[in-house]
Amino acid sequence: MAFVMASFMCSLLLASLLTPQCVRATSAAQMCTEVVANLTYNCENLGLEEIPESLPATTKFLEFGFNFLPDLQSSTFSRLRDLVYLDLTRCEINWVHEDAFENNDDLSTIVLTGNPLIFMADTAFQGPKALKHLTLTQTGMTSVTFIPMQNLENLETLHLGSNHLSSIQLPSTFSARNLKVLDFELNAIHHITKEDVASLKRATNLSLNLKGNNIQDIEDGAFHSTAFQSLNFGGISDVSTVLKGLQNSITQTLWLGSFHDVDDLDVSPDMLEGLCNTSVEALNIQSRYFSNSVAIFQCFTGLQELDLTETHWNSLPSGIEGMNQLKKLVLNQNAFDDLCQINAASFPNLTHLYVKGNTHKLDFGAGCLGKLENLLHLDLSHSKVVSDTCCNTQLRNLSHLQHLNLSNNEPQTLQGQAFGECPQLEVLDFSFTHLHTDASPSPFQNLHLLQVLNLSNCLVETSNPQLLVGLQGLQHLDLSGNPFQSGILTKDNLLHPVDSIQVLILSSCSLTALEQQAFGSLGKLKYLDLQHNSLTGSGLAALSNLNKTHLNLAANSIHTIPPSLLPVFSQQSIINLSHNPLDCTCSNIHFLTWYKENLHKISDPEETTCGDPPALRGVKLSNVTLSCATSAVGIVFLVLFLLTVIITSIVLGRRYIIRKYENI
Amino acid sequence: MKIFMVPFFASVLFCPSYSSKWITHTACKDDKLEVLYQSCDPLQDFGFSVDHCYNPLSKNLKIRFGTILRYDIKELFLDVDLFIMKKSLYSFSYPVCEVDFPKFSFCGRKKGEKIYYAGDINNPAFPIGKGEYHILLRLYNENNFTIVCANFTVISY
Repeated sequence: MAFVMASFMCSLLLASLLTPQCVRATSAAQMCTEVVANLTYNCENLGLEEIPESLPATTKFLEFGFNFLPDLQSSTFSRLRDLVYLDLTRCEINWVHEDAFENNDDLSTIVLTGNPLIFMADTAFQGPKALKHLTLTQTGMTSVTFIPMQNLENLETLHLGSNHLSSIQLPSTFSARNLKVLDFELNAIHHITKEDVASLKRATNLSLNLKGNNIQDIEDGAFHSTAFQSLNFGGISDVSTVLKGLQNSITQTLWLGSFHDVDDLDVSPDMLEGLCNTSVEALNIQSRYFSNSVAIFQCFTGLQELDLTETHWNSLPSGIEGMNQLKKLVLNQNAFDDLCQINAASFPNLTHLYVKGNTHKLDFGAGCLGKLENLLHLDLSHSKVVSDTCCNTQLRNLSHLQHLNLSNNEPQTLQGQAFGECPQLEVLDFSFTHLHTDASPSPFQNLHLLQVLNLSNCLVETSNPQLLVGLQGLQHLDLSGNPFQSGILTKDNLLHPVDSIQVLILSSCSLTALEQQAFGSLGKLKYLDLQHNSLTGSGLAALSNLNKTHLNLAANSIHTIPPSLLPVFSQQSIINLSHNPLDCTCSNIHFLTWYKENLHKISDPEETTCGDPPALRGVKLSNVTLSCATSAVGIVFLVLFLLTVIITSIVLGRRYIIRKYENI
Repeated sequence: MKIFMVPFFASVLFCPSYSSKWITHTACKDDKLEVLYQSCDPLQDFGFSVDHCYNPLSKNLKIRFGTILRYDIKELFLDVDLFIMKKSLYSFSYPVCEVDFPKFSFCGRKKGEKIYYAGDINNPAFPIGKGEYHILLRLYNENNFTIVCANFTVISY
């Protein structure tokens, strides 16, 4: 009996748990998300079988993926005449019937990814005046003839990936004049003939994606005197197949990289020979193995950009010649021990060098890049870079360097005028690299052109008022994650020398209070981020110096806002007070009133909720209505009450006296 | 009692997709080791299997994996948290696909595509001590949208 009772209670509980959920679910089915009123709607994952009546006829952008529309007819979208973008991903569409989009004049993008298409009528895409983007990825297509060609003359992108196509040939009825992107990723294309490539010649500046096709042969001369914006043969087993086929072609970007999940052949110098007879500006050959030889580079001499990400180099050979054209070299994810092992002198005209994510500890060395006089951009992030005192010997001769990224590395000790060798620096990123500045209080002196400095999580000496001396051009400073001793930003803090700053990030700095005048000299501040500190309402005195600033005070310990601070808040552009334990009692009534009057200034109102009293915890501030007798009204009532008492007592007193002496 | 059962059955019948949990699947099973998983993505389940369940786990395990992408994966990141007795023991983050470094051939595939991966996962060999382990695994894209969420249970006898 007890068991029956228990199971009964259990199912009752389950029923009560599930029923409201279900009610919410069915009502959600009617409710598309309004992203931009009257323009953009998202109706994904709602199990809809038609376009909901609730969608306004003015809708232009519609995300309708993961619903159920087995056949598209001319009536399906006829009400939404203004549609520009229509995403019908995985709607189990089998049929696209005649004139399915006839009423959608402005439609420029149709996405049909992942639909098991059986047939598309000849006039399926008629109607739109300029259909530009058509995605037919993974629709089970076995031939390009499946696509009705009427009204596709304006097409700019055509995505045909993950189908069963075996040829790249476009039908002669297809005018590819405006085609810029043609995507055949992951199909079954094994052969490319002259005729195939000739069918693409109507398009100019085409980007052709053949990634993940196991191409076994390309007819000799197939690409003769053709020009491409980009060609992607990613994952091809033998790169020589492609390079032989590309003889006398012109390509801006050629992607010949491989992947971890693809078996490919090691690249030998003769496999790259074909590259000598093609014109390529940028070559990517990531994740391949090379025989470590100078000869590998013999056909790279025409390149302007070379990406050798994860190509398993311990050192690049010395004696590489003819790489004078190369402007950009990517050596990410390799295994150098010392920066000098890249033999930078072989690439004298480099402007951009990336050695990111090195798998070994990388010794910064001394003057390893000294021959790169034109270097503008250097990225050594995530590379376990170690150095002795940084950075003048390491960056010797890099007098034009504008952008330096040393983030996520081993701890660095900065010397005095640490960047004396690169006075042109505009962006310097040290985030998550522990910095020691004991050697000099002002390591950034002379960086007069520096605009962006990222020192987040560097554990810098925030109590050192000299730290940022010399950075008079600085516009953007990130000091997040650097704790301030005692938690107080004092009036003589390290920010005083950087008075042209526009964006200042002081989030997660363990701040409890900002002293009056702490931001005294920062007159140009547009955005101040103080998130994730422990600031309270009384510790915000310094904000009175700011004007028209976007103020982010999210996730602090702000309880009440003193009334004196409200005019200060009023003069800012945007304020975020979300995730604070805000007081919603009468003691904070001035702020609560101000909040409702200034909702247009509030960022993230959804997460701006009461922390007190317990009854209102979690309630949005904008929904709180308090009836507190304001003090002025209270005084009036009190005065009226007292007056009444006095007058009554006088009147009663007079009567008493009159009565008393009446009989005399 | 029947009256009370009606809303229960009705809710189960009419809202199957809103049941809070997907069933628990077995990824592999052996005398010494068992790997179970359950999708924690409210929108969908996924399929996963490991080619063998030896303990110690061998290097470069072969897995099979199938799912539908709800979002593009131009960038894809993996977060893994390992728990023993509800205590977090180890966690790491690993970039699977980056714009400048698409490690796998499936990087860059589009929303709505079915993905099937059969291949290595480049793991080191390691022995698994006796006990029950819980692994929370989340794959998410550049906009922090969940691609796959999985609760794994590894039982070593």
